[in-house]
Amino acid sequence: MAKWFRSYFLMLKWVFLSNRPWLTLNLAVQLGISVAFIYGIGYFYPQTTATIAKFLTTGSPTIVLLTVGLVVVPQVISSMRSEGTFDYVWSLPVPRMAHIAADATNMFGTMIPGILLSIILGKFHFGFNLQVSWLVVPAVLLIASCATFAGYSLAFAVPKPMMTQILTQLMIFFVMMFSPVMYPSSQLPGWLQGLHKVLPIQYMADLMRGTLTDLPVKLGLAFAVVGGWFVAGFACTYLLVRRRK
Amino acid sequence: MLLEIKNVTKIYKGKSKVKANDDISLAVNEGEVFGLLGPNGAGKTTLVNQIIGLTMPTSGTITISGMDVVAKPDYAREVCSFQAQVQAPIAGLSSMQAIELAGRIRGGKKADVHQRAMELIDKLELTEWKKTLGLNVSGGVRRLVAFSMAAVVPGRIVILDEPTNDVDPLRRRAIWQEVQALAKRGSAVLLVTHNILEAERVVDRLAIIDQGQVKGMGTPADLKESEGDDMRLELILEPKAAAPLLPDYLKKPLVVNRRILSDISPANVSTAITWARGLKENRIIEEFYLGPATLEDVYVQLVKNHENNGNHGKDA
Repeated sequence: MAKWFRSYFLMLKWVFLSNRPWLTLNLAVQLGISVAFIYGIGYFYPQTTATIAKFLTTGSPTIVLLTVGLVVVPQVISSMRSEGTFDYVWSLPVPRMAHIAADATNMFGTMIPGILLSIILGKFHFGFNLQVSWLVVPAVLLIASCATFAGYSLAFAVPKPMMTQILTQLMIFFVMMFSPVMYPSSQLPGWLQGLHKVLPIQYMADLMRGTLTDLPVKLGLAFAVVGGWFVAGFACTYLLVRRRK
Repeated sequence: MLLEIKNVTKIYKGKSKVKANDDISLAVNEGEVFGLLGPNGAGKTTLVNQIIGLTMPTSGTITISGMDVVAKPDYAREVCSFQAQVQAPIAGLSSMQAIELAGRIRGGKKADVHQRAMELIDKLELTEWKKTLGLNVSGGVRRLVAFSMAAVVPGRIVILDEPTNDVDPLRRRAIWQEVQALAKRGSAVLLVTHNILEAERVVDRLAIIDQGQVKGMGTPADLKESEGDDMRLELILEPKAAAPLLPDYLKKPLVVNRRILSDISPANVSTAITWARGLKENRIIEEFYLGPATLEDVYVQLVKNHENNGNHGKDA
């Protein structure tokens, strides 16, 4: 286990240094997305009620986490696959999951400022009081981990890296437009509501709503479903990264 | 033997079913520099990828010190340090950071790794780029840094896949010196290269691979000896000149673009020189060379004979 953690910290340093030239731009984009969501999405609503404001404020960080996990992670991984980066990194005496965990940590680290900004901006822009529970920490970690490992599974499972690019475009379109993140599930047609009872997206949004506001949410169920999807994504990633051509 | 590869065959899955390695067997000793030579797509990189567990053989065995590394690829990665054919992902790291980090990942102690990294930076004349990010250095410098990353804490087996690509001649020489130093320290060095002339000076033994098969193996002297005591005549045609009618005493003539290669027995040397001089005077050839067979001649003969037999495969 000591070797695993040693490898993890050394790979974390490698991943951080590798991404450092683009860190400022990356952070700026994350913060920009947060600002755009809080101010931009509000224009869709002629009048912003307290409930809408809470959905928008908690939905924005959820969208940021999903975007990074389901779009940025697969795109970065597919680009690394095209460049042959894994042929080098995976020849090192490093447990592959230690490398993946280091990469995920780095991804998550760049998301935090955007998440915090969207919550704080939402609170002041819409003028309501947050009811922050300590459970927000495990909730955010779980959402980020679930989305990120789903992204890794997608990136490693798709045979051709170019296909990943197309799939991620479709996924973000689905998440943004047809998922009950910024609005309640009841506004969707019945079949989509049914689909979202199985998918983790609605429950991820529930985790944010339930740990930041007083909106009624079944937190236990949300933790269980997102947790289940995280375990599945982690297991898929584990099996896929151990696969040999 | 430290590394033993027995009857390894690799057929890639998919519709094309490319046979990248076809029943390859070879062994490498500690302290030996072993060359894997062959044209693009010969299956060299596929073979080394199987040693370090990036690719799974379809059949055959690979052992390191008797350990089955097909079953235990993690062990292979512990004992092999590897310079991949692709550039190492060091865009955001300075040359020094990349070398030190690779050394630490390979289990080296901080002070030892630093000292060895400084030594490599000095020997490969990388001081100028010591603190420059990988993003801002040339392909050749990145290749030198990647070589240093494999050599900083060398494994019992050091695998170098085209280590001198894009590298200038002086630094290439420094790499070859360092390769020999690695072998002197006890590592087995498996060297994949197209650069036959340079490899000839550095390898102890080599295998020539083409179409996924070993076409010849031994020391450079053994392979050259297999050509007998025949001399080698090489003619360089004038641009746009047609190949002349070749006399019967030219053995196994081979036309490669503007080059005509052929063996001749020592008894026919003076006749051949007179004939070649005539071709030069008549501006059919630009130049001709006569000398003992080189490793490149052996290589061209082995690879071209195979192609002439019409046995073409796909890239691997």
